[in-house]
Amino acid sequence: MYQGLRQLSRRTIASSARRQVENTVKEKQKLFQEDNGMPIHLKGGSKDAVLYRATMALTVFGTGYVVYSLLSASMPKKP
Amino acid sequence: MAHQAHAYHMVDPSPWPLTGAVGALLLTSGLAVWFHFHSTILLSLGLILLLLTMYQWWRDIIREGTFQGHHTPPVQKGLRFGMILFITSEVFFFLGFFWAFYHSSLAPTPELGGCWPPTGITTLDPFEVPLLNTAVLLASGVTVTWAHHSIMEGEREQAIHSLTLTILLGFYFTFLQAMEYYEAPFTIADGVYGSTFFVATGFHGLHVIIGSTFLAVCLLRQVQYHFTSGHHFGFEAAAWYWHFVDVVWLFLYISIYWWGS
Repeated sequence: MYQGLRQLSRRTIASSARRQVENTVKEKQKLFQEDNGMPIHLKGGSKDAVLYRATMALTVFGTGYVVYSLLSASMPKKP
Repeated sequence: MAHQAHAYHMVDPSPWPLTGAVGALLLTSGLAVWFHFHSTILLSLGLILLLLTMYQWWRDIIREGTFQGHHTPPVQKGLRFGMILFITSEVFFFLGFFWAFYHSSLAPTPELGGCWPPTGITTLDPFEVPLLNTAVLLASGVTVTWAHHSIMEGEREQAIHSLTLTILLGFYFTFLQAMEYYEAPFTIADGVYGSTFFVATGFHGLHVIIGSTFLAVCLLRQVQYHFTSGHHFGFEAAAWYWHFVDVVWLFLYISIYWWGS
């Protein structure tokens, strides 16, 4: 979250130990408005793709596992 | 790139409704599997999937609104309606538990001793920690309103301070309530008194945690300059939710803690 130390401006009433957060909204606006055809959930870059793939992998595995789990739970067990 | 000739938001295709639905499926069947077969793997998988879905879905909404400018006035109007309708549905959710409480407490059965509180139940003193909890939440309602005015007036530092204070008060409530739960002389298994008490206050506590999380996300966004003095609907939604949580507590306090003691 904190982008790095910055020089404190004399006019802000910030404690001397406080680090200022940079305003990066303009850069983010430029990134997400770039005309590259990417959908919003992947437009942020490679981190998006990694998180998406991990989520989808869990979704697919989970779907399979729940079908297996419910099918086996509904079968009578041999004594 | 084709430009839209209208002010509405045609959303990009998104995988999150699917992952969220599968997550909910895993959560519910996982609960059943845990109850019957003592295995928590499905449940954990469902929880992780739901958390991942929520994080990415709401991240995308922030991108669409703050970074792409899709939240025009008509779109914001729709978001406002959506939040109001959601909170209304939550009101009905809690209404059910209040119905259960009043059903049991207005006409206590012979099994309970024909009285309320039932025979053998030592209730919590409403003028001790529960009263403190009431003060804490009321104070947090004041601080969240202070935060709203600070945002509208462009007072960045004050907004950050008052929002932080609101969240800390929320944490304090949760901490106090957790202590009360631990020290309570009755449990959820103590008849209908225990059931109505812990289910109603328990769901309320969960909503305090959800509301605190929502406010914390707003604090992070405020620090990162997402909110402007004229456009900060995410914060307003969080504040509405927080006031709702506060009002539910007031009803809980008066009905269950005070009248019911």
